[in-house]
Amino acid sequence: MATDTNLSNEQDAIIRAEVDRSLRHPVMFFFTSGAVWLAISIFFGMIASIKQHDPDFGLLPDFFKDSSLFAVGRAYAAHMNVLLYGWGAQAAFGVMIWLMARLTRQPSRNSGVILTAGHLWNLAIAVGLIGICTGKGTGVSWMEFPTCVWPVLLLSYVLIAVWSLVQFQVRDGSRTFISQWYLMAAMLWFPWVFLSSHLFVFVFEGHPLMTAGVNAWFKATLVFLFFIPVAVGAAYYLTPKVTGRAIYSYKLAIFGFWALAVIGPWAGMQKLAGAPIPHFLPYMGMVAMILFMIPAITVGVNILVTMKKAPEVLPYSPTLRFVAAGSILLVVLGAIGIALNTPNGLRETQFSIAGYGYEILAIYGVFSMIIFGAIYFIVPRITVREWLSSRFINWHFWLSVYGVVTIVFCSIFGGFLQGEAQEAFDKPWMDAATRGYAYTLGTTIAWHFIFVSNLVFLLHLLLMWMRLGRRSQHPTLLHSHHAESPHGGEGFVDNA
Amino acid sequence: MTFKHFILGLSITFALPWFFVIAVPYAKMSQTQAVSFVEDIDEQTGVYTTKRAGRVLDGAKVYGAEGCYLCHSQLVRPTYAGSDVWRLDWAGDANHPDGDTRRETNVYDYAGERFAQIGLTRTGPDLSNVGVRIRKYAKEAEISPEEWAYMHLYNPRHKLTTSWSVCPSSTQLFRTCDVQGQGSLEALSVDSIKDGEQLIPKESARALVSYLLSLKKDNKVPASIDYSR
Ligand code: HEC
Repeated sequence: MATDTNLSNEQDAIIRAEVDRSLRHPVMFFFTSGAVWLAISIFFGMIASIKQHDPDFGLLPDFFKDSSLFAVGRAYAAHMNVLLYGWGAQAAFGVMIWLMARLTRQPSRNSGVILTAGHLWNLAIAVGLIGICTGKGTGVSWMEFPTCVWPVLLLSYVLIAVWSLVQFQVRDGSRTFISQWYLMAAMLWFPWVFLSSHLFVFVFEGHPLMTAGVNAWFKATLVFLFFIPVAVGAAYYLTPKVTGRAIYSYKLAIFGFWALAVIGPWAGMQKLAGAPIPHFLPYMGMVAMILFMIPAITVGVNILVTMKKAPEVLPYSPTLRFVAAGSILLVVLGAIGIALNTPNGLRETQFSIAGYGYEILAIYGVFSMIIFGAIYFIVPRITVREWLSSRFINWHFWLSVYGVVTIVFCSIFGGFLQGEAQEAFDKPWMDAATRGYAYTLGTTIAWHFIFVSNLVFLLHLLLMWMRLGRRSQHPTLLHSHHAESPHGGEGFVDNA
Repeated sequence: MTFKHFILGLSITFALPWFFVIAVPYAKMSQTQAVSFVEDIDEQTGVYTTKRAGRVLDGAKVYGAEGCYLCHSQLVRPTYAGSDVWRLDWAGDANHPDGDTRRETNVYDYAGERFAQIGLTRTGPDLSNVGVRIRKYAKEAEISPEEWAYMHLYNPRHKLTTSWSVCPSSTQLFRTCDVQGQGSLEALSVDSIKDGEQLIPKESARALVSYLLSLKKDNKVPASIDYSR
């Protein structure tokens, strides 16, 4: 799919190597600092989760128990914001700039600027995290960083992403791949969503209910119009690349893209169902959440059917395995979106732990899993070294999968039970309040799995960053495999 | 699909919902007008006021910064969307001397706040009417509402009836200091404090408590916005 240029194979290989070299530093910087933030985020998530079932947890060292830095509300805000902007956005940037450069066959000429902007981004995250932990958070979900932080984030974003748009404009050859549509769209949606939401919430004078409405819309669109499209763009690149098969249906891919573009921006306001805002807003949100199943299933089927046609690489490739898990979970995300947003489902789960399960499924189960796959593909190419240990990759994969599936099961199932008890208005509140305990306990345990899984990943990535990877022509595969795949192993350093 | 078509399609599919879901409702609602009582129907005149200012609004910020919205909602949904109105003391005061004041949330309930804390979950109870409940609890315990609230914030599990509570102990909102003279009137009666020292709320706790006590639905609303009738 990516050989659509007028160059000979040899010239093409040289250009690809140049692209990889030009972006080595910024991309590795985004991946590794992202992975560090991910570990920090999970750590805060563990503290927040423990304190939701055991506020004075006995085994917790006094420092975490008593320090106001880890008060449950603050820890939760820190957990989500670091997950979204520290890990999610940075991992997305790394994949985005590398893929756009690779697909347009243009080495980056602005790596210095991108790297500087990347440092600025990290500084802003650090300031934001300290702000939240010292009680200076804004109290607006997913926008909790103190208000001085978001303009800095936006500025660094522009400095990071604008070059990819320029590259796209000046590319030669007119053919565009479906991955590029997704990535370009995400690149344009993100600043629009981010800027307008922050202006409406923090700058303009609005009605408090409508700022809450904009916040709900922001949370939904950040997922549907940034994290999901970046992940899907990566999946549409990686799957054909590694399997050596063309995408099952290109028409379906285009249809899925426009379905997401049409449906995504209407989502969010269902979180305000029952609030005195114009009535059609929550209904539009519910409908959009349900219809999201259409793009989700389109992408899921397209990716998975393509993979099934390549049984000779599927079991061996770390990248494919992560992308497959992410694609399956994308369909699950669509299905859960339906369950939570029927009138009855919403009534019961609007204020339950189910919302958290949905968010973690989207950000960790779908986005992060596919991006992990991309990282396992990209890093050997830009460092010209192979991954050290297939065992590490296996641990990362299985602990992550078990962890995220447990969290989603506990939150969604527990959320319905909790919501049912909340609706039983003639029973004492204690029933409703204690109904979720067992499930938050399950979530805590699952975060421990995910924490270990990402410490392994972080260690592996740091070793690669220090260029301690294997020097080899043979990629790191999940099982020692016998027959060489006709398309070259996916980890081949100089494989397209 | 050319680049031009792509940009055009993207602009339309995004700008349309952005305009109708965000921009227009935002502009419309920012111009919410005050409503007046109508003498014939309401048996009183004047404007329905819900002004809140100063320390109460500082308290709203503390509420946000401490992440109380993680477990507490502030929204009484109409009956088609949930059974909140029927929960005891959530939607108003059923035995108020002026008559039943229970009602769903209206657009004036978040007066003065920048952001309506709708909330993420209801691990804890809805707080739309918590001011009324705290006054009730305080009366039963024969202490002031402020004192009840401080005690709850310092350690929600100090009462036998809520020993199961997962409401966090917000100890960061309090400080200890030496007793001077008769001691502070606000000092909390907790055992864990050394002799000669007392535990008093910080300014942030005072603000938060004023805010909590301002959350109540015990007033009469004009018939024009009272959907419970
Ligand atoms: C981990 C979830 C959680 C968080 C975070 C939380 N609460 Fe609670 N809260 C509860 C639960 C559960 C109850 C019910 C048990 C009880 O009364 O203690 C409760 C009860 C309350 C009550 C008594 C309400 C009543 O009618 O009895 C008040 C007041 C309160 N919380 C205030 C706060 C404030 C202020 C914050 C922010 C600092 C906060 N809560 C954060 C879980 C939480």
